[in-house]
Amino acid sequence: MRPFLYSRATSLEQAMSEAAQSHAAIMAGGTTLVDLMRGDLTGAEHVIDIGHLPGLAKVELDGPVLRFGALARMADVAELPFLKQNYPALVESLQLAASQQIRNAATLGGNLLQRTRCVYFRDGVSDCNKRVPGSGCTALDGEDREMALFGASDRCVATYPGDWGTALAAFDTSIEISSAAGTKTVKFADFHVAYGDDPARESILQPGEIVTAILVQATPAGRHSTYVKVRDRQSYAYAVTSAAVALELDGDRVTAARVSLGGVASKPWRAPAAEAALVGQVLNQAVALEAGRAAFADAKALRHNGFKIDLGARTVARAAMVAKGKH
Amino acid sequence: MDINMGNGGIGVPVVRRDAMAKVLGVAQYAADFPHENTAYAALTLSKVARGRISRLDTAAAEAVAGVRMVLTHRSLNESLGDETFVMKGGHMQSSFLPLTSDEIHYAGQIVSLTIADTLEAAEEAARLVAIDYAREAASASMDDAGLTEEPADSGIDVGDAEAAFAAAEVKVDATYVTPAQHHNPIELYAASAAWQDGKLLINLPSQWVMGTRAGLAKVFGIPIEDVHVESPYVGGAFGAKASILPHVVLVAMAARRLGRPVKLVVPREAGFTVGSFRPAARSRVRLAATRQGKLTAVMHDEVGQSAVIDHVAFAGMEATSKMYASPNIRMRAATVATDVNSPGFMRAPAEAPSFFGFESAMDELAVALGIDPVELRIMNEPARDPVSGLPWSSRLLVECYRRGAALFGWSDRNPKPGSMVAADGTLIGYGCATATYPSAMAPSSARVRLSADGSCVVYCAAHDVGTGAYTVLGQVAADVLGVPDELVTVEMGHSRHPSGPVSGGSITTGSAGSAVHMAARAVRERLFATVAAGQDRSKMTLADRHVVLPDGSRRAISDIIGGLPGGVIEEHADWKPTDMDDKTMQQGLAGGMAFAGPVGGTHVSFSFGAQFAEVRIDPLLRTIRVARMVGVFACGRIINPRTARSNLMGGMIWGASSALLEESQIDRARGRFANTDLASYHFAANADVGEVVVEMLDEHDSVVNAIGTKAVGEVGIVGMPAAIANAVYHATGVRVRKTPILMEDLL
Ligand SMILES: Cc1cc2nc3c(=O)[nH]c(=O)nc-3n(C[C@H](O)[C@H](O)[C@H](O)COP(=O)(O)OP(=O)(O)OC[C@H]3O[C@@H](n4cnc5c(N)ncnc54)[C@H](O)[C@@H]3O)c2cc1C
Repeated sequence: MRPFLYSRATSLEQAMSEAAQSHAAIMAGGTTLVDLMRGDLTGAEHVIDIGHLPGLAKVELDGPVLRFGALARMADVAELPFLKQNYPALVESLQLAASQQIRNAATLGGNLLQRTRCVYFRDGVSDCNKRVPGSGCTALDGEDREMALFGASDRCVATYPGDWGTALAAFDTSIEISSAAGTKTVKFADFHVAYGDDPARESILQPGEIVTAILVQATPAGRHSTYVKVRDRQSYAYAVTSAAVALELDGDRVTAARVSLGGVASKPWRAPAAEAALVGQVLNQAVALEAGRAAFADAKALRHNGFKIDLGARTVARAAMVAKGKH
Repeated sequence: MDINMGNGGIGVPVVRRDAMAKVLGVAQYAADFPHENTAYAALTLSKVARGRISRLDTAAAEAVAGVRMVLTHRSLNESLGDETFVMKGGHMQSSFLPLTSDEIHYAGQIVSLTIADTLEAAEEAARLVAIDYAREAASASMDDAGLTEEPADSGIDVGDAEAAFAAAEVKVDATYVTPAQHHNPIELYAASAAWQDGKLLINLPSQWVMGTRAGLAKVFGIPIEDVHVESPYVGGAFGAKASILPHVVLVAMAARRLGRPVKLVVPREAGFTVGSFRPAARSRVRLAATRQGKLTAVMHDEVGQSAVIDHVAFAGMEATSKMYASPNIRMRAATVATDVNSPGFMRAPAEAPSFFGFESAMDELAVALGIDPVELRIMNEPARDPVSGLPWSSRLLVECYRRGAALFGWSDRNPKPGSMVAADGTLIGYGCATATYPSAMAPSSARVRLSADGSCVVYCAAHDVGTGAYTVLGQVAADVLGVPDELVTVEMGHSRHPSGPVSGGSITTGSAGSAVHMAARAVRERLFATVAAGQDRSKMTLADRHVVLPDGSRRAISDIIGGLPGGVIEEHADWKPTDMDDKTMQQGLAGGMAFAGPVGGTHVSFSFGAQFAEVRIDPLLRTIRVARMVGVFACGRIINPRTARSNLMGGMIWGASSALLEESQIDRARGRFANTDLASYHFAANADVGEVVVEMLDEHDSVVNAIGTKAVGEVGIVGMPAAIANAVYHATGVRVRKTPILMEDLL
C-alpha cells in the first residue's frame, strides 16, 4: 500500500491545522478509512487520528437541541435509554448498521462520511468518476441493482449507504463544523452533495474542517419514529431500501410527518411528497402505501433497480405504520 | 463387518481434537509458519478479461525501496515441467499458468508477482507495475450472445424418454438457473515456500498434500521426495484448495530464484480469480407421470458454464438419473466456454446446481398431480438403480422422508399455496427435497503405532479441512485397539506421512478411515500373536488397554509391548476399494486422482437425505427468512455423530445461503466478477439461520467398505435450495426457477 504518515492529534487545533494540508485524511474509528486506504481509494498521505481527542464524544440530550459529539461511538449511542424511548428511529438506524464489533469502534461523525459501496468505485479498477474524474461510470451498463433512483446522473448512479444519515434526514438536523476559521453550523440537507452533481465530492467539507457535533432539534415526533431497513441478508448488510418516518399524531390523524429514504439515493433523501401525503390523513395501510408511492413518484430507474420503486414505497408504508404504533 | 463396538471409539460424539487449539489461536495455519528471512509477495491482476499485454513497465515498481523482484511474463522466462489441469489427470487448478505468456484469458488473471522485504513495499510496488492492454471482446457470462453449447458427454439413455414424455398424461417442462458462486473460505489462499539444498518445503492450505507434492515435483523437475507439503490446519476449503493454484507455483519459483523464503497471502478480492469457482448452470427438466403419480419419463438437460482455457463439466445427472424409478430416462450435459478463470470443485459440484432444478421440478409435478410432494417421491422409490439395474449398497431414502416428515410436522401442511398465514400476516411455506451424494472412495495408506503406555499415533497424509477428520480417524484406531480416545494422536496434512487421498468427494472417512482401520487391525494382530502364540485369535478381544484371552484372563498392553524391542508396535497399511485394481491403487497412492464408485461391479453406493424447510415471508416487503430446516440422512455408519451433524448442518446452512443470497455477479460488459468482496458477496449470517435439525438414521451398509461409512461431507447442501424454493412457492404461489431467490422475485 501507499506509504503514509500517521499522527495522533493531541488537540483539535492541531488536528485542524494538519488536516488543512493536501492529501491529509482525518481518522476517527478508522472502520471506513482503513478499508478505503487498503483499496487505494483515498490518496491519503497523512492520516491524522482524532479518535482519542477528549470532549468530542459527549452526547447531550436534555436541551431543546440534542447534541451528539462527532466521536461518540455508534454502539454507545444505540444504548442510550432516553434515545431509545424518545427517538427510536435514531437508535434503530444505528442498531441495524454494520456489526456490533464495527459499531464499537465506529463514530457518528465517521458514519456520516462513509463512502458509497458501489462495487465499481470500490474495486479500484473499473472506470469511475468518483475515483478518477472524467473516466466514466461503469455502473451505467453494469450491475445496477444497488444503484440510485434519486440524485443520480449519467456521471454517477451510486447510492449513499449510511443508515444513521438517512434517519437524521427525518429530523431537523444540522452539522457543526470546526476549522481554524472558527465554528459554523450547516443544515444537514446541505451537508452531503448528491453524487450525480459532482461524483468526486460527497460533502461540503473542506480540507482543515472537522465535524465536531451533530445537532438534532428536539421534537415530539421522535417518539413516533422508526427506521425500517430492508435487505437481502438479515444482518450485516446495507439497505436495499430503507425509510425513516417520524410522526406527530392527533389520535390516528397525522398532524406532522417527516419521511426520509435510504438505499435509493445518492445522499440521505427526504421525501416531502410522502410527508404531504400523510399530513391530515387518518393513517392506515392504504394511506401509508399512498404516501410511499408519492415518495417514489419522481424516481428514475435503471435496468435492474426498478423494483426498488415498488419495494421502497412498501418500505415507507411499513415504516409509517410502525411509527404510528410506537408510543 | 468387523467393528469392535465395546470400546466406545466408534459412534461416540467425541469433541474435536483440534477444537481447543483453534479456539485458543495456537493452531498454526499455512500463513502462520515462520520461515526465517521471509520475503513477502503481492499480486498485480489483469484489469481486462481478454487480450494481450501491450506495454509493461516495472521501473517504478522496482524503484520502491526493499523490492527484490518483479516477476512478470517477461522475467519468468523459464521452462517448467508440463503438469496439467486437475480434471485432465494432473494437479493444477488450471491448464493455463499466468506469467507464461502475454495473453490475458480472464479478468483478474495474475500479471505480476512482486517480492519485497516487507509486505507494505511489495503491495506498493505491485500497485506501480504499469501495464497497458490490447483489449479484446470477452464473454464471462454463458448468457452472452454468440456463444455455443458443446455436448459434454454422451448422455444417459434408458428406454425412450422422448416418446414417453410426448405420450404422457401429466408433465412438467421447466428450466432452472443457478449462478456462479465462490467458496470464500474464511482462511485466504496462501503459500509460503522455502528451498533448501534443492528441496522445496511449502506451507499452504491444502486438501491434497500428496497431489500437490506430485504436481510441484513435476513442475519443478525434481524428485517427488524432494517436495514437502505441509497443511496441518485448513480454515475452510470446500473444494477450492484441492488442486495447485497458480500463485503456489509462482511463489515457489520466486523463492528458488531469490534463494530466500517467499510468502504470499492472496487478498479476498484476488481469491475470486486466482482460485476456482462454482460455474453457472441451466437445467431443463422434463418429467412425465401417470395420473396416479408414477413417473414415465425423466429428462434432464444441463448446460454448464465452462472456461475457454479449460473444459469443465459438472452436470449432476449421474445422481438425478438414479433418484426415481422410471422406465424412460434421458440425460444430456453440455457446456458453454466463457472467458473466466477455470471453474472447479465446490461443495457438491455437480449435485448442488442440478438438484435445485431437478427437485424443484419434482415439486412442480406434485402440484400438477395434486399429490403430496413427500408421497410422490416415496411412490417412485426405485428398488434398484434405474440406470445400471444394480442393487444399492444401502438406500434408506423412504425412511429419511418418513422420519423427516414426522420431525418437521409435515402433516400440518395445508397444500394450498398461500394458505398458511401467521397471526401477523406472515406467509408460511413448507417445502421438501431429496438430497443425495455418491459414496466414492480412493486408495489410502496409514501407519498406526501403539506404545506400551497405551498411547497410539495414527499417521496419514489426509487432511482435516475443518470437518473433524482428526477426531474421526482417531476414533477408528481407538475402537480397534481398545484404547481411550484421549490416548490417540492423529498426524495428518503432511506429505511425509503415509499417502492419503484428496479431501474431496466426501471420501476421507471411508478411505483414510479404512486404511487406519486396516493398520490398526494389523497392530492388534501382532499384539495377539505376541501375547499368546497358538491361541485362537478370533476369540481374543482388546478392551481398556488389556488383551482379553479366550479363557477370560487379561494381559496388560503395557506388559506385552514393554517387552518388545523398541517398545512399540507399528504397522503400515495400504488400503484400496474392493473394485479397484492394483495399478490404479498405486497411481492413487503416488498422488494421482484414483476414485472407485459410486457405481461398482456389484452395487451402487450413495448417501441419501430428505430435507425440509419452513420459510416465512413478509407479506408487504416480501423478504424471505428460513425459519426452520430439518434434514434426515442415511450415510451408513456414523463414526462421530457430533462431527457428522456439524458437516450436515453446515451443508444445510450453505444450501439456505445459496437459495437466498449467494451469487457471483458477472459484469457482462467488462467480462468480470463484480462483487468480489464479502460486503457485496453475501452469504448467510447467523441471523439468517433459524432452527436446524439434523438426524442420521442408523444405517448398516455391509458392502460399501469395512467400516460401513458412506459420504457425509457434501450431501447436506444438495436438497436445501430446492426445498426452500418449494417452500417459497407454497407460501406465495410464485414459482421462482433461479437462485438466489430475492425479494424482487416475489413483489
Ligand atoms: C463491513 C462493514 C459493514 C458496514 N455496514 C454498515 C451498515 O449496514 N450501515 C451503515 O450505516 N454503515 C455501515 N458500515 C459503515 C460504518 O458504519 C462506518 O465505517 C463507520 O460508521 C465509520 O466511522 P469511523 O469512526 O470508523 O470513521 P473513519 O473510518 O475513521 O472515517 C470515515 C470517513 O470520515 C472522515 N471523518 C471521520 N470523522 C470525521 C470528523 N469528525 N470530521 C471530518 N471527517 C471525519 C474520515 O476522514 C473518513 O473519510 C459498515 C462498515 C463496514 C466495514
